[in-house]
Amino acid sequence: MSCSATDLAVLLGPNATEAATYICGQLGDVNNKFIDAAFAIDNTYLLFSAYLVFSMQLGFAMLCAGSVRAKNTMNIMLTNVLDAAAGGLFYYLFGYAFAFGSPSNGFIGKHYFGLKDIPTASADYSNFLYQWAFAIAAAGITSGSIAERTQFVAYLIYSSFLTGFVYPVVSHWFWSVDGWASPFRTDGDLLFRTGAIDFAGSGVVHMVGGIAGLWGAFIEGPRLGRFDNGGRAIALRGHSASLVVLGTFLLWFGWYGFNPGSFNKILVTYETGTYNGQWSAVGRTAVTTTLAGCTAALTTLFGKRLLSGHWNVTDVCNGLLGGFAAITGGCSVVEPWAAIICGFVAALVLLGCNKLAEKLKYDDPLEAAQLHGGCGAWGLIFTALFAQEKYLNQIYGNRPGRPHGLFMGGGGKLLGAQLIQIIVITGWVSATMGTLFFILKKMKLLRISSEDEMAGMDMTRHGGFAYMYFDDDESHKAIQLRRVEPRSPSPSGANTTPTPV
Amino acid sequence: MDTATTTCSAVDLAALLSSSSNSTSSLAAATFLCSQISNISNKLSDTTFAVDNTYLLFSAYLVFAMQLGFAMLCAGSVRAKNTMNIMLTNVLDAAAGAISYYLFGFAFAFGTPSNGFIGRHHSFFALSSYPERSGSDFSFFLYQWAFAIAAAGITSGSIAERTQFVAYLIYSTFLTGFVYPTVSHWFWSSDGWASASRSDNNLLFGSGAIDFAGSGVVHMVGGIAGLWGALVEGPRIGRFDRSGRSVALRGHSASLVVLGTFLLWFGWYGFNPGSFLTILKGYDKSRPYYGQWSAVGRTAVTTTLSGCTAALTTLFSKRLLAGHWNVIDVCNGLLGGFAAITSGCAVVEPWAAIVCGFVASWVLIGFNLLAKKLKYDDPLEAAQLHGGCGAWGLIFTGLFASKQYVNEVYSGDRPYGLLMGGGGKLLAAQIVQIIVIVGWVTVTMGPLFYGLHKMNLLRISAEDEMAGMDMTRHGGFAYAYNDEDDVSTKPWGHMAGRVEPTSRSSTPTPTLTV
Repeated sequence: MSCSATDLAVLLGPNATEAATYICGQLGDVNNKFIDAAFAIDNTYLLFSAYLVFSMQLGFAMLCAGSVRAKNTMNIMLTNVLDAAAGGLFYYLFGYAFAFGSPSNGFIGKHYFGLKDIPTASADYSNFLYQWAFAIAAAGITSGSIAERTQFVAYLIYSSFLTGFVYPVVSHWFWSVDGWASPFRTDGDLLFRTGAIDFAGSGVVHMVGGIAGLWGAFIEGPRLGRFDNGGRAIALRGHSASLVVLGTFLLWFGWYGFNPGSFNKILVTYETGTYNGQWSAVGRTAVTTTLAGCTAALTTLFGKRLLSGHWNVTDVCNGLLGGFAAITGGCSVVEPWAAIICGFVAALVLLGCNKLAEKLKYDDPLEAAQLHGGCGAWGLIFTALFAQEKYLNQIYGNRPGRPHGLFMGGGGKLLGAQLIQIIVITGWVSATMGTLFFILKKMKLLRISSEDEMAGMDMTRHGGFAYMYFDDDESHKAIQLRRVEPRSPSPSGANTTPTPV
Repeated sequence: MDTATTTCSAVDLAALLSSSSNSTSSLAAATFLCSQISNISNKLSDTTFAVDNTYLLFSAYLVFAMQLGFAMLCAGSVRAKNTMNIMLTNVLDAAAGAISYYLFGFAFAFGTPSNGFIGRHHSFFALSSYPERSGSDFSFFLYQWAFAIAAAGITSGSIAERTQFVAYLIYSTFLTGFVYPTVSHWFWSSDGWASASRSDNNLLFGSGAIDFAGSGVVHMVGGIAGLWGALVEGPRIGRFDRSGRSVALRGHSASLVVLGTFLLWFGWYGFNPGSFLTILKGYDKSRPYYGQWSAVGRTAVTTTLSGCTAALTTLFSKRLLAGHWNVIDVCNGLLGGFAAITSGCAVVEPWAAIVCGFVASWVLIGFNLLAKKLKYDDPLEAAQLHGGCGAWGLIFTGLFASKQYVNEVYSGDRPYGLLMGGGGKLLAAQIVQIIVIVGWVTVTMGPLFYGLHKMNLLRISAEDEMAGMDMTRHGGFAYAYNDEDDVSTKPWGHMAGRVEPTSRSSTPTPTLTV
């Protein structure tokens, strides 16, 4: 709304120039105040969403801790802390630049290294922090697949590479304004006239983390004892269901930053002066997220009751998370009832992928590849089936006749774009992370020795057992302090396994 | 949502402008100015929506965090052998509650226009044409869902450690999908017969009951339902010995209890202040700094003071009564203080919140003594805490609600706290609320639990109870701190037996040592 004092003066009559200037000045001030208010509100919204996504790191740490055996608890939790820490540094130095540096080419970004030139008109520090929280989430996912048998050096290397390069490149393709497959492209040359729709990252985050984990776990092989000589699967149960539930709920809580926060702004008008604005879409996104997770949880509850005969809380937790991973791609562009379908199918996808993993003797302590990779891929397909045209137009720019959900009468182009996304993510992550894990293995930097694995990594590499519930446990001190090099055999002798009290 | 709509009449403005020029250009000037002002008005409206939705959504997320807090509190308060069971009920409260509240609970609660008893407008069922013409938005639905699952969670605490999982699913769906929404309709919707925000001015006793964030609607409903469940199924084995003396069945982890309590405290900052639903509203033109945002802040303060006072009171009284400083009791006292202030948090002065918390602590101690006398066993003290302190909270509001705040939060010139000079009408309405909630929940949940009991679907067998439900129904023990504890590595897994809800057959003998 611009006020031209000259035009207004003419309308007000001969001596009205000063009046017009005054009035326009006032209106200009009001306008500026609104602009300021909008930035303040949007930054508040995005920052608090970023803090929520960060709390998912805590949630995943607890989920991981509870899902592994007690003797490896400190190890897995340290990897989660370090994902966040190393990720912070590398994403700041170049990860964010590769992801969102603009203007750039379709493959990779090339501005904003070390946050140079930030803030811009379109991105402030809040945006960086939010994206950092996403980046470390992807790296965290991978740590679950290779838990309980991976050398710590390998964790540091893969995590930095994933957060600093592999993941940012993928996010550039699908989320930046330059990305070759991005629906935000401003030059009009959208993939299949739509771009791939992955609102909060079923593919960009969950598939990337899951496929990377898949290669790590596949290359280093199953944990000792996971499949016996007859090829039968033995469950290596986690040590604390309480931590699993704590972690799952924290992830749920944080998902309210992950999905609705991906709008980046909340103060955007859709229909002037009505309730119909981006704030409503944000609320709707929180609702679709909730419904998908809850449906997946219930489906898993009853599915597992039929399959195994009991009500299993850790399976229900995994099912819940699979529902969330799936809805993440289309949470903002589907109706709430469609989210129920998403969750229902996600639970079945997870059950199926787990059965397949068992058949192929693939061991993943957190079911990360099955959950994030499998349910993430389903989420992209789901979006292609159920995306609503009006929501796509509100979020990705008004393009009449744009491709949308196949079941909503939108044709098959969006599905084509989503399938391309699944294929290129699988290919890119396999080529980069698969190679990295293979090299680490060849250099004997990947898996720990079998003696270390039997003793537990906390004892041999992390200073001691995570828990000490009785004073007599102090007797373990003698074993804790030995320096164990990555390639040396574990401390010899009969004391490799601590005697529990 | 009160958005300032400034209407600008171009004709009137033109008349004022037309002193020295011809009327045509005055009209044009006036039209221009009016359209500018109208733009401003729209921007303000958009801004207000964005601010209020952000506020309500983040409050909803906080209330959701209370589900996690209650799961941890429950887990820590039961014996290790039942940990997975109780946590699964908390996860399922949330999950099943989402579906039933989405499909019909929300419509029963807030479907409008409707009658005074229950909501019934078609556009609210399964959010079919929501939020058009509803006056609210998705953020409101999510917020109310988070409240609904809190009520169901409370009840699970009373019947912990001895209830069949099928019974949990049934009571939880019924409570979240019907019993609770009806109560929230009475006291919170614009149609409700006892609501203080009734739109047709036919207020109960000229006042309506004031239960701002749900001491009655949430805490009493959850607590009374739990009371009936625990009464119908009886105390846990070993809770009262043959001579009638009570034996403490201590929870297995004080750390989880404290973690849960703190998370509940954290989430209460969404539960109480968030119940304003909007934050961008001025109250007093002469004091532009004073608006709903101030009331929101004041509500967070009253909440805090009440809980803290209750905690301290419990600390010292337990030191006197039992001889030591007990963190578990202090945590329960703290929560009792929060449950009590929940009703009047928005309409009382901070000093009054201190009184609220002090009395709440004694109410809880008193109800616990009564429960012990009556041989009533409630693993989480849920009926005593949420039912008892919730009822005290309603009475407290009837005594201490301040005139200024009542009229700011609920428009009009209405009765307020008895001890503040506001007469007895509000207190009368509060007492009516207590009575109808107790009555309604009793006649709905009481028969439900009784019916489940008669069909042998309520309580587990004595053998299952001794072995622990995790072992017999949930796939195994929750904790495995040493590799030897992981029975799944043994070829003849103990846990693999399919146990039907009604079987009284032999259950595997546990060989684990903790």
